[in-house]
Amino acid sequence: MNIPVDMTLSLVLLSVLFSFGSSRLPGLIKVLAFQGVVVSIVPLIIGHDMTGGGILFTLATLTIRGIVIPLCIHFAIKKVAIRREVEPIVGYHASVLAGLGLIVAAMAVSHRFNAPSIGTSVLLLPTSISLLGAGMFLLIARRNAIAMVLGYIMMENGIYLVGTTFSVRALHIVEFGILLDVLAGVMIMAVILQNIKQTFDDVDTALLRTLKE
Amino acid sequence: MIKSILFWVLAILVAPFFSAVILKVKAFFGGKKGPPLLINYYTLVKLFKKGSVYSTSTTFIFKLGPVVSLGAAVTVLLFLPFGGHPPVFSFSGDLLFILYLLGLGRFFTIAAAMDTASPFEGMGAAREAYFPIICEATMFMILILFYILTGELRLAAYFSGGQPFGLWQAAGSPMLFVVIAFFVILLAENSRVPVDDPATHLELTMIHEVMVLDHSGPDLGFIELGSFCKLFFYSSIVARLIMPFESGYLALNICLFVTSLLVVYMAVGVMESVVARYRMDRVPKFLLTSFALAFFATVITLEFLR
Repeated sequence: MNIPVDMTLSLVLLSVLFSFGSSRLPGLIKVLAFQGVVVSIVPLIIGHDMTGGGILFTLATLTIRGIVIPLCIHFAIKKVAIRREVEPIVGYHASVLAGLGLIVAAMAVSHRFNAPSIGTSVLLLPTSISLLGAGMFLLIARRNAIAMVLGYIMMENGIYLVGTTFSVRALHIVEFGILLDVLAGVMIMAVILQNIKQTFDDVDTALLRTLKE
Repeated sequence: MIKSILFWVLAILVAPFFSAVILKVKAFFGGKKGPPLLINYYTLVKLFKKGSVYSTSTTFIFKLGPVVSLGAAVTVLLFLPFGGHPPVFSFSGDLLFILYLLGLGRFFTIAAAMDTASPFEGMGAAREAYFPIICEATMFMILILFYILTGELRLAAYFSGGQPFGLWQAAGSPMLFVVIAFFVILLAENSRVPVDDPATHLELTMIHEVMVLDHSGPDLGFIELGSFCKLFFYSSIVARLIMPFESGYLALNICLFVTSLLVVYMAVGVMESVVARYRMDRVPKFLLTSFALAFFATVITLEFLR
């Protein structure tokens, strides 16, 4: 049992529950920013290769994940002046209960993996699996396009944690590639959001069904 | 044994004093001087001196309500380790007994409120019956966690002596969530601010207060004393959790316990001063958060123990 790592990871799991329960976009973005920061300091705490380059890469990840991406989305919201409600398909109470179920399921599933991370921390693999599931859930259960983008970022956080469990040496290079993709993805989504907003005067993705050739 | 009984009497005697601390803190935040710290004793004495007025439409249930609710609250204190000192009674499974004893007290308060046939009281009774259901789920989640950690179902096994420290050692950081969840239960069960406002004057928004509107004189005194005892019970559990140490000296133990109790009551007062009361439909979400925290703590601890 590695206490600092486990405490950090339980904060991440808690942020999943909070993101499921929050009804407003600014709140959701804050939760995601917090999650990004916490997720990116996990390698620092585990501390398997703390060379100068490693620390530099971790700090760069932290900046992009915790500051740049949330700010991007924040400004995107401000620019297109969309409604603040996340428009859930599944209600908030049910979402929080689903989140609890998801965490339990992730704990159960993680025992079936034979990952090398078990030595570092018991919570590492369950947390990353539940982040993946939670991101998926936000994509499915919210109709607001911004909430979907945030779900996508949460999945990316999960992938990053999985990466921490499997690879040690090539971690930063692979991770940086993914992160750049995500950053580009967020920017593109911001542009698409603006287009959706201009066409429909709303960012409710259910409206996209009305599009015909 | 004699000492335990003395501590039990002491607990009943000091409970009204601690409740006045909340009033003092609220007055401080409001920039007022506030009532004296002994205000609750004055109120109780005043109420006990008065006579009772009973409506002709009420039955014996109405007279039974206050007595049973006070009796339940006072009996529950018999099981409480005062400052870590062994309680008067303790047997395996007494936790369930305590929980349902409190439930019995609530049931009779609700029945007495329904007995008056006032529509407002029925509404308050419905709310009083609804919110504790979610609290009970949280409570049982915490009990399951404690049972996993200690393997015992006695309140004294969790909170007497240095036991709370053992809980912290075994569970680690998840205990923090348990403390928060327990504090939320404390607020909800004792009808404190984010859930219910004890000082409100509008029947439509009352929960607990509306049920005791028709009681007068000594009956109202019983209800007040019962609610002080109940608040004392929950607060001392939270106090033991935040101050889990055992010093070995009785006097020092009691000092630490009283200090942590004051901290808990002040936290309630601060909460009442800075948080607005929730809209009625937001309350279940607030209580569900506490359930989520307790459940989450249990799951994580299970994972650690594996």
